[in-house]
Amino acid sequence: MSGEISRRVTLAWVAAASLAGCETREQARQIDPPPVADAPPVADTAPDLWKEVALEPVTAPGYGHDPHLTSPSVPWPLTLDADQRASLRLAADLILPAEAHSPSGGSLQVDAFIDEWVSAPYPDQQRDRVLVVSGLVWLDAESKHRFGADFRQITDAQRRTIFDSIAFRDKVAPGLERPARFFARLRGLMLAGYYSAPEGVADLGYMGNAPYEGDYPGPTPEAKAHLNASLTRLGLKTVG
Amino acid sequence: MPQERHARHHARSRSHAFEPDVVIVGSGAAGGMAAYVLTKAGIKTLILEAGRDYDPATESAMLQWNYQAPLRATSTPDKHFGYYDATVNGGWEVEGEPYTNAQGSTFKWWRSRMLGGRTNHWGRHVPRFGPYDFKAKSRDGLGMDWPISYNDLAPYYDRSEKLIGVSGANSGLENHPDSSPGVLQPASRPRVPELAIQAAATDLGIPCVPSRYAVLTRPIHDRHAPRQACFNASSCGRGCAIGAAFQTTTSLLPMAMGTGRLRIVTDAMVSRVVTDARGRAKGVEYFDKKDGTTHFVAARAVVLAASACESARLLLNSHTSGSPQGLANASGQVGRNLMDTTGTNITGHIPALEGRPRYNEDGRDVAHVYIPFWLYKEQAAGKLDFPRGYHYELGGRFAMPGAGVAMAGNEDGYGVALKEDARRYYGAQISLTVRGEMIPNAGSYCELDSDTKDRFGIPVLRFHWKWSEHELRQIAHGMQTAGDIIARLGGKVLTPQQPPERAIADGGWIIHEVGTTRMGTNAGNSVTDNYGRTWEVDNLVIADGGVFTSNAHKNPTLTIMALAWRSMDHLAQRLRKGEV
Repeated sequence: MSGEISRRVTLAWVAAASLAGCETREQARQIDPPPVADAPPVADTAPDLWKEVALEPVTAPGYGHDPHLTSPSVPWPLTLDADQRASLRLAADLILPAEAHSPSGGSLQVDAFIDEWVSAPYPDQQRDRVLVVSGLVWLDAESKHRFGADFRQITDAQRRTIFDSIAFRDKVAPGLERPARFFARLRGLMLAGYYSAPEGVADLGYMGNAPYEGDYPGPTPEAKAHLNASLTRLGLKTVG
Repeated sequence: MPQERHARHHARSRSHAFEPDVVIVGSGAAGGMAAYVLTKAGIKTLILEAGRDYDPATESAMLQWNYQAPLRATSTPDKHFGYYDATVNGGWEVEGEPYTNAQGSTFKWWRSRMLGGRTNHWGRHVPRFGPYDFKAKSRDGLGMDWPISYNDLAPYYDRSEKLIGVSGANSGLENHPDSSPGVLQPASRPRVPELAIQAAATDLGIPCVPSRYAVLTRPIHDRHAPRQACFNASSCGRGCAIGAAFQTTTSLLPMAMGTGRLRIVTDAMVSRVVTDARGRAKGVEYFDKKDGTTHFVAARAVVLAASACESARLLLNSHTSGSPQGLANASGQVGRNLMDTTGTNITGHIPALEGRPRYNEDGRDVAHVYIPFWLYKEQAAGKLDFPRGYHYELGGRFAMPGAGVAMAGNEDGYGVALKEDARRYYGAQISLTVRGEMIPNAGSYCELDSDTKDRFGIPVLRFHWKWSEHELRQIAHGMQTAGDIIARLGGKVLTPQQPPERAIADGGWIIHEVGTTRMGTNAGNSVTDNYGRTWEVDNLVIADGGVFTSNAHKNPTLTIMALAWRSMDHLAQRLRKGEV
């Protein structure tokens, strides 16, 4: 049996397990896969397409211990190529799609933020670079494996089926733990890039960073009413 | 102001023509206060600062957005507290100025190399020590009592609070002294997460009261250092261009400069205190970082205000044939009794705070209420398994989004639902941060590492560190109680469950290092008398946190300043009488 078929079988039973209401990976594992003739002993795990890429270290200088704080600039060159940026943009549009409240991740250039991040010469960012670049390689490999084309050439619906096997912490397809780690980090970076941008700040409803002279007024009546309703439910004394 | 800046510039270029009565090493909380008190008393004073000149009015990143900074202003090895943090050329490491740890020890030492030192970015939480804190050994037999009592320092607390500007309120609680009437500026109204914590704490019998911060809610009209009231925006750690958050660069230093009796030399790394044949301090020697030249400055008295560990290092490096183990160190106590504050952080997700109505929750950047230690009676009755106290500093609000989006541990999936979650969980996470007292122990100290020198050729410090069971039991109690408060709010603790020896922050991490030149009642048990004067060198005074005999859980900077004021009053009197 080819790896591709066994992979599809695996997906099928994981989907069945999800539909049956299994919430955790542990529960999912307890369900036997449907019997398949000639199944090799490892048929219930995905083919391991993950390869950790070897990258030349970034040697560009950082911004130093005394950068200009009121007119900041990013001194290091960006390192991602056009395909990588395009994949990130497509992913950002699915992970943080446009809806009534705010635009999509791609339109807020979350890919540019991630390029800035992974190209920085600091250890945390360099670790993220290996994870993100390896993850982008994996997305193409998985996409080719499932649909015969790069991540950029498949449809959004097809991209979603890939994300569905790695994006939900309790429903990660067996064998895809490393891609799931990549996804979790990518999502964290996208949330950061998106919600710290002006449109994201507005979407969250952050209303600060605006000088208010005079005594701080405290919560609005509406905010206080919400708190008091919560305190009442908890059996706590309300505030005046 | 332009005149002030001109005066400072002039001072730097002409420093050698100026003959000071007193030379102060350092321009932070202790050095700034020392310069203020001495110059107001008519004494010609020179400050030597190891860092560069710094002006918060033009350099601090007030009102900058995180998206304007590299990496959305996240912390990096170049800027350990984030891009916008005011610290210049400093952090856990300073280039070319290493320190080492003995095998098995982890101590972290935060330094900055800038005018105003660490006052430019500090937390500004300024509770007073109470009567018990000065005589703690008499209560529990541990450590050593201070040679002064609360009443000796109370007037200096009042004066210091009034001078630096403290907003907050008196609590009337046991061992949390009130300020005199008219000293404090008004407190700020608490925000929703603080009100929620206050409601739960009150229900559990735990006080939660207005906190005291060195952040103005009323302007201070000083001719040389006019300061505005806080405009309820921008993080204090970035430095305060309007002077609302206290730092010496916008207050004590320009006020002292206004007397015409202060000169400041920046980029001046002091290497040793020079003594004469009789063992009295003649002055100090320093490297000019700009041109690599060495200078000697003579003075009638030397004040060390370089920070507890840096001042101890200076004494150890100022050894002579007559004092081979370091200047003023016949007791062997220099570098010993090193203390930090204990710390751990407990975060919680509070479903009751999900999806709450938005409003501007910046306020004064700092916490508007806090939980002071409340178990003195239980402790006296022997009902606790740890000595001394701790407090909680409180966090949680609609904060400016940055490189970490706080979703209270609920980041999952993708798509429209993820965006709904981001909105729902924003502002639903709280934190209770433990700050507790450490008892000095024989395993926590610093000494010279003569194998390692900094870029000026000066031997560096090697740290030894260990916590005792006292601190670990206290941290365990703090974690448990924080969990109780979060549970009372129907919330879930997000911080991973860990034993206290793993949960406790590393030594130095809270940046409250004190005790390395402690004051005491006699030359055998301490380095200085109760005025910070070293027992052996009559005209050498230590003004920084090194003189702390114990380190109550109450953040040390206010006490550093009150002690410095008291010690400088004493030094000024002696100078006037010609005793020095």
